[in-house]
Amino acid sequence: MMKKFFSAIVLTVALLIPSAVSGQETILRPVMSAYTIEAGSSHVTDTYLSPLSYTGQTAAFAYDRMQAMKFNPDKWVMGLRIEVGMDHTENPARNATIWGAGITARWAMMYRLSVNSPVKFAVGGSTGINLGALYTTRNGNNPVAAKASWTVNLTGMATWSTRIGRLPLTLCYRPTLPLTGVFFSQGYGELYYEIYLGNRHGLVHGAWPGNYFSLDNLATADLRFGATNLRLGYHNTILSTKVNNIVTRMITHSVVVGVSGEWIGFDRRRGISAPTRVISAIY
Amino acid sequence: MKHITAYFTLLVLLTFTVGCHKIDHFDNDVEGNFDALWKIVDEHYCFFEEKGVDWDAVYREYRPKIKSEMTSRELFDVCADMLAELRDGHTNLSASFDVSYYRKWWSDYPQNYNARIIEQYYFNFNYHRAGGLTYGILPQNVGYIRYDSFSSPVGEGNLDAVLAAFATCAGIIIDVRDNGGGDLENVKPFAARFVTEKTLLGYISHKTGPGHNDFSEPYPYYVEPAAQGRIMWGKPVVVLVNRSTFSAANNFVSVMKNIDHALIVGSRTGGGSGMPFSSELPCGWGIRFSACSITDKDGNWTEFGVDPSPGCIVDLDPADEANGVDTMLDFAINMLQKQ
Repeated sequence: MMKKFFSAIVLTVALLIPSAVSGQETILRPVMSAYTIEAGSSHVTDTYLSPLSYTGQTAAFAYDRMQAMKFNPDKWVMGLRIEVGMDHTENPARNATIWGAGITARWAMMYRLSVNSPVKFAVGGSTGINLGALYTTRNGNNPVAAKASWTVNLTGMATWSTRIGRLPLTLCYRPTLPLTGVFFSQGYGELYYEIYLGNRHGLVHGAWPGNYFSLDNLATADLRFGATNLRLGYHNTILSTKVNNIVTRMITHSVVVGVSGEWIGFDRRRGISAPTRVISAIY
Repeated sequence: MKHITAYFTLLVLLTFTVGCHKIDHFDNDVEGNFDALWKIVDEHYCFFEEKGVDWDAVYREYRPKIKSEMTSRELFDVCADMLAELRDGHTNLSASFDVSYYRKWWSDYPQNYNARIIEQYYFNFNYHRAGGLTYGILPQNVGYIRYDSFSSPVGEGNLDAVLAAFATCAGIIIDVRDNGGGDLENVKPFAARFVTEKTLLGYISHKTGPGHNDFSEPYPYYVEPAAQGRIMWGKPVVVLVNRSTFSAANNFVSVMKNIDHALIVGSRTGGGSGMPFSSELPCGWGIRFSACSITDKDGNWTEFGVDPSPGCIVDLDPADEANGVDTMLDFAINMLQKQ
């Protein structure tokens, strides 16, 4: 029943099956999709809002998509990750709150260094945007610190497909390290009212690891029960910026739970011509 | 493979060894809270030079008063006394049991305002209300607007209604005595009714770093005339002020002083031209202080107040007050009748 169900649903647009020359094997590039929720601890300091470190909880919803790339599927893989998160933190005296909210979207392209071994490595680059804000109910004229960035990142992936008993398991670690880009910061003592009046000077800054250090570590384990996998994992994000004499530090540690699976879209009218080879993004 | 291993090892090491950027840490004890307060103000307050405050000397004076066995109340009082050295009505320390205020900017001066006199003897309690405005027409055919807080929003429709009601009046009086300020953005709709072209209102600048002289270039800000179809006012205007005209109201006065057909009548305003910034201490007490300075269109500081127009200084005579007469309002009416 489940097989019929999944085969009946064409989940993506018709895949143009690449055949360099007619008569050669057909390459199928399944899309690995994962929907996860994350929850854990959050540590926030933003000296524009307060000199104190706030601690509390973080929660997020993330969508991950990976697929071997069309032009050279054996060697290149691309990934898209969209994450929406929220933080609730309190000051040490627990009489003030900083709320955080943000959305991150990142697209990566990685070169696979090893394909035919159980442990696979890939390295590459990614680019992404991050939009969000920190808000404290305590402050009058400076209640918000907006966060916005566009970065170009070094990214990588290490996967290990193994088994626990008869259960296939894929472990995956994906770090992302921004190397350059641009990001927004208001002035040291600048009120958003002044920006509202029209003073846009000094708001956009070039990013490099010295003023914008960010590291995203995502470690997951996909328990492959069948067509759908259970994804468990750990997600750690570190952001430390210093610009305009304002230091922002945000660190989260989260448990990841979700589902993942590989999906193949095809044109039923054209069918699949043999021989066929499936190139998975991570499995 | 070696390179790959090195790459991932580097990233993992970065994760665990990253020092991030340095953030000052203050202990949550008597000394730590005092030092945090002093440093926050030291690095963010914007009027040290204008007020001639030697903040290092202030530290040397007050730090010896800090003893580890002090109670919260005692610490609060020392901190409040230290903040009073700034002579700033926008500076407060907030704890669960008290909020410190520097009151001498108005308490050392005559109050110069008695609302009851106007309501009773000038309007016989027969006045109107539009948004945050109280208004009515005086027997001398002068429109009177009372605006007691810039925290009370005034809509364009409110202003249209009030100015329309005054259409046949010879002039209007805008009474902002005892107006302690509020939202600076509420100044513009008012000013927009008195200008015929884009008009420079003043300059704003902010701290760019922790140094006492780290300031941004003053940024000019303007007001445009009210939208077409709105009621404008080109006849004489008097703005009535006292020492308790503060903050956004002080800014309003500095703006109106530069409008050709407006006079400022009363006593010097209370100042408060620094837009306040908020922060906090390790113990959870809140601190608010002036952080962004605003000058008038000529670049003059208005932190110490705005003087009335030449020849327009007047106080409320206590003898008049006892007889139900507002000396300052009468003065304003006379000024309008002369024009």
